[in-house]
Amino acid sequence: MPVLEVRNLKKAYGQVTAVADISFSVEAGEVFTIIGPNGAGKTTTLEMIEGLVTPDAGQIEFGPLNWARNSEQIKVTIGVQPQSSALFDLLTVEENLDLFASFYPKSRPTAEVLDMISLTDQRNKHVKKLSGGQKQRLAIGLAMINDPALIFLDEPTTGLDPQARRNIWDIILKLKELGKTTILTTHYMEEAEKLSDRVCIVDQGKIVTLDTPAALIERLTKEREVRLTLMDGEAAAIETEKIALLQSSVVRTNREGDSLQLWTTQPEETLYELFGFTKDRGFRVEQISIHEMSLEDVFIAFTGKEWRD
Amino acid sequence: MNNSKQFAKMFTAQIKMMFREKQVWFWNIFFPIILMVIFMIIFGGGSSDSFKAKIAVVDPQPNATSGMLLEQLRQIPVLEFEDDAPVSKEIGTEWVEKQDINALIILPESESAATVQLIVNKEDEQGVTTQAVAGVLDKLVQQANLAVAGATETFRMTTESVSSGADDLSYADFLLTGMIGLSVAQGGLFGMVELVDMRRRGLMTRLRMTPANMNLYGMAGMLVRLMLGIIQIVILSLIGVFGFGASLHINVFSLAIALIAGGLVFNAMGYLFSSFSKTIEAYMGMANIASMLMMFLSGVFFPLETLPEWLQPVTQVLPLTYFVDGMRDGLIYASGIASSAFWIGIGIMILWGVVSFLIGSQVYKTKSISATR
Repeated sequence: MPVLEVRNLKKAYGQVTAVADISFSVEAGEVFTIIGPNGAGKTTTLEMIEGLVTPDAGQIEFGPLNWARNSEQIKVTIGVQPQSSALFDLLTVEENLDLFASFYPKSRPTAEVLDMISLTDQRNKHVKKLSGGQKQRLAIGLAMINDPALIFLDEPTTGLDPQARRNIWDIILKLKELGKTTILTTHYMEEAEKLSDRVCIVDQGKIVTLDTPAALIERLTKEREVRLTLMDGEAAAIETEKIALLQSSVVRTNREGDSLQLWTTQPEETLYELFGFTKDRGFRVEQISIHEMSLEDVFIAFTGKEWRD
Repeated sequence: MNNSKQFAKMFTAQIKMMFREKQVWFWNIFFPIILMVIFMIIFGGGSSDSFKAKIAVVDPQPNATSGMLLEQLRQIPVLEFEDDAPVSKEIGTEWVEKQDINALIILPESESAATVQLIVNKEDEQGVTTQAVAGVLDKLVQQANLAVAGATETFRMTTESVSSGADDLSYADFLLTGMIGLSVAQGGLFGMVELVDMRRRGLMTRLRMTPANMNLYGMAGMLVRLMLGIIQIVILSLIGVFGFGASLHINVFSLAIALIAGGLVFNAMGYLFSSFSKTIEAYMGMANIASMLMMFLSGVFFPLETLPEWLQPVTQVLPLTYFVDGMRDGLIYASGIASSAFWIGIGIMILWGVVSFLIGSQVYKTKSISATR
């Protein structure tokens, strides 16, 4: 049974449709990621699920609970880290956790939370003296203070440096180990790919596609982009291009001076053939790359748009 | 989690936040002290002397009536004679012009044409001292009239009022209590900026995502500000008493009632401002206007009687008027709970509080949730 089920959510602000029609369900224990460009409707969707915004239409069900009848119970079973890490600046890390703990009928011990978010050493520091990454970790700590089964993390890594982002990934993975369900939104494809069990790509208020990261990539056409540059001038490149086009696996090619771009359904075989040819002719090859397919490509393939971080 | 534990946590958290905010100390404690010291130096004559008025008397044609009046004037302790003997009208008028004396009193020329004339400097016409001397003189003439008519005084007024020369009330006492009232009021008027700040930083939204009881949170905040009010009263009183020789007669009960009513009304007004304000600046603007208007129209620095008559009705509706009165009742008159004026004042304050709160919560309700984020 899904821990969260969302059906046909709709929300408009005046003339602007923020969420056109969104449905999905989240299973216990998974990391479910919603990605999409700014203004795609990610945050509005999350805010409707979190009970902050009333949807114009659609249903939101937390197992047997819904907002109309069980708002207090839902609040106890979920934990939320909002996009703006809302913290009491003049309180210490520990005081923030203690205060939030007092709101709930049961809470996870503060020391345990501090350990999970690696802020034990900073527990007596005032929040305003924390770094961006530390603040974000505290915000996540507040989201888990009531030991919720379902945690919402709204762009937890936006604006953080790579190391700070990695720290937050660690926390998300720890939550997963504990069997918690996490609903994550992010800007970063890399993050979605690394952390999620399933990814939901949203654009213009609608779900573009929803599946595991691997399956999404799999679904894309099999052709891969290979780039190589020859060191013996344009003539060598033209000859190599001709040979490449003779192969059935090569779909098309593109040449700019001495560098060659080719799209092939079997990159290993194509390269093997090409290297055989260049070795025979004594051409030297520098810079070879096979472009890895990523969620970014999935996004581009499904929406026809460039991805911008 | 039971409510009392939640309330205790909310209260301690808000106490900590208040004491850690330097601005709170500055605006609620140091600023009133600075303001009080400045006013005391400018208007208090640098000392805590009791109220005194310097006068001179002209007795153009000494007669029985003028002699009697002169004798009585000499017995009034707050009147200080520039020259013990009556002077000529010319000299007296010159003194008034040069402001060597506060008032010149011209005694009646004959026993029957009993007109007593009071000459004051135009600049001082609305001043406290002028009012006081006029009051004293008026009373004296009334008594003289009664004496002439051979009547005994049937009705006697025993109330002492600040501006009419109750001689044990110094300006220090008056200003001190006014300043205390003003600072406590400002604590409430400006204190609610926290709500705007919390909303701006998403903390309101964040708390709404938890089962936290927001009514408890608000009550804890009120209690914290009430404590700040007590701290203000204690610190400012100590400075007033030891620095400026103010003499206090405290009635704890009426002081407590006035403080609670004041806490209610000014917090409610702050809450109302917060409901209209999207930014901290907007809130501060509103709070400043309200505070400025009331500061000068509620008898904080000078008695209300010094204001022009057409302004009097305005002063009579402002909550700060009654709050400052309440503070004075509790701190210097040691009275209040027995007088109906005190309770009417409390009632008017509570009315302000309730109306402000109702409008404020209505505004909060009608705004869509997304707009308050």
